[in-house]
Amino acid sequence: MAKKKVFAISNALSNGIEETIQAAHDYSGELRVEVVPLKRIEVDPENPRDLALTFEDANHGISPTDPQYARKEQEIESLQSIANSIKDQGIINPIVVYKFGEKYRLVAGERRTLASIIAGKTDIQAKILDSKPNDLKIRLLQWIENVERSDLSLWERLNNLEKIVSAYFEKNNLSKKSISVTELSNLIGCTKPHAANYKAVLDADPGLKQYISTNQIRSLEKAALIATIQTSDLKEHALNECLAGANLKRLKAIAAQKPNKIAQIKKSVESRGRQTTSVNLGITKNVGVAQLVLDSILKNNALSPIAIHFKQVDWNDYRAINNTFKQLVKKLEELHT
Amino acid sequence: MTKIVVNATHKGGEGKTTNSIILAEYIALVLGLKTLIIDMDPQANFSGRYIKMEYDPSYKGGKIPALHPDYEPLVDKDWDGRSSIANIFYGEEVVPYPTSITNLDLLPAHSIKLQEAEAVTKNEVVEKVHLQLKRFLELEDVQNTYDMVIIDTPPSKGPLTIAAIKAASHIVIPAQMEQFSIEGIYGMLQLWKQETYCRTPNNPITLVGILPNQVRDIKLHKQFLSGLRQGKGLGDYVMPHVIKKRAIYTEILVEDANPKSIFELPANNVARNEYETACRYIMEKVNHGEEKGVRN
Repeated sequence: MAKKKVFAISNALSNGIEETIQAAHDYSGELRVEVVPLKRIEVDPENPRDLALTFEDANHGISPTDPQYARKEQEIESLQSIANSIKDQGIINPIVVYKFGEKYRLVAGERRTLASIIAGKTDIQAKILDSKPNDLKIRLLQWIENVERSDLSLWERLNNLEKIVSAYFEKNNLSKKSISVTELSNLIGCTKPHAANYKAVLDADPGLKQYISTNQIRSLEKAALIATIQTSDLKEHALNECLAGANLKRLKAIAAQKPNKIAQIKKSVESRGRQTTSVNLGITKNVGVAQLVLDSILKNNALSPIAIHFKQVDWNDYRAINNTFKQLVKKLEELHT
Repeated sequence: MTKIVVNATHKGGEGKTTNSIILAEYIALVLGLKTLIIDMDPQANFSGRYIKMEYDPSYKGGKIPALHPDYEPLVDKDWDGRSSIANIFYGEEVVPYPTSITNLDLLPAHSIKLQEAEAVTKNEVVEKVHLQLKRFLELEDVQNTYDMVIIDTPPSKGPLTIAAIKAASHIVIPAQMEQFSIEGIYGMLQLWKQETYCRTPNNPITLVGILPNQVRDIKLHKQFLSGLRQGKGLGDYVMPHVIKKRAIYTEILVEDANPKSIFELPANNVARNEYETACRYIMEKVNHGEEKGVRN
């Protein structure tokens, strides 16, 4: 019997359609973009970014008597490249504001707003929320806006995250001390491993956080790795290596060590074929190099007893040089048994 | 406020133009509302039904509107006597063309000008195209002159279609009950979703629904249709009426067709009844919550 034909809309397609309609219902009017006069925008006093530069400064220039003159100058400098691109093509992503009386308060986009003022614009594209979003939502929007910015330090990101977490607890009436990885990943919309890293650093001891606050540790992954090492001496070792500039791979190697075997060299790659049981001292065609190696070794005072055997070498004869080195290795082995 | 219905889907051949024609004629002929039709499709088929379109001498295959009947070469020194909706993208005045149907005015397409408007660079597109049609239709003159605006769009998701959606108060998505068409619906729903995000509560964009078009009595069509109707959330957006595949819907499009409009058919004609029911449904949605009525 022939197979009965059934025509159905594929699951992927019908799910996609369903999600689209749901999203349209849920977010209708949430993200309307309009053009807002810059002079009606003000900062939210609780904005976690701490630029010293004010809208007043951007508008009328920094007063030379301003105690923060140097810092503000620097900030204007750093905004100049955005300002130039705004001059050419406007802002790419609209800022986010909410209505606050006659004014619009910034939820996200302080730097874009300042740069637009510097670029000499009079208005800016903004997503307008109808009212002040609840604390959690505002922090989350700021987080989303900031998360892709490279110039936010790990410390600044952690501070924002701490505020998000406490807003989250407050909103849900939780008295817990610590957020779970799943909650955190849902909250800020990142993968669980990434959320686990943030959680580890949030829960880290004050000592480690101190280094983060002073920008001595800037990598989330490194900080999370150190925070999760249980053994205190290993932890300290990893911390020191990190401050000395060790890479993540090296820190992972330290973290994987058993306590008290810090000095042990970890074999990272299993070699193929026969086991290697000796050391090849290498090959060179450059006689000068061979000469240098020999001279350097013989300069070592501890080796003066064997120096006598290598006074006369014929540096024009490769075979003779090879023999000399074979002899050298043999003598050294005798000294080091 | 003038209601603006857009027939849109980026897949071709679904019945956008035919649906625009029949809906516009229903509103003008049957309801007697003052109606403006706008042709945003560079193919200019919609325009060609109502006014004479000429081949563009400078662009082979392209069409331009014929001279406007009100144009007087000796008096009108400030325009060349042709007017199309493309003018709004060039900061030029537009003059709607009257049609042979009372209450029905047309702003025709202009192939090359529309194509050029669609080809502006990415940075300019928002300013120069996306919001232009909306601004035009918000003009007091337009609002005072017309009760309804029907917009036909090109088969694309490009700037011209987006401009139409930004201007719209209502969208109709005509679609065949076939695989590619349903994928097309999905694409259009994305545009609708994006647009709903940025509308205010007093200026919403309403998805009237998907109009199942050219439906035949075959298993594929029946099963896709019932699949859509049963889809969670989607069911409400599939119109309860379907348009069957009938020769008459294409016969009326021929030059010198008789009858020229399906609304010239007897009131009990099956095809007229079928489409009129669908049109009535669309207009009920458009007038939802408002007093239905003819302009005095």
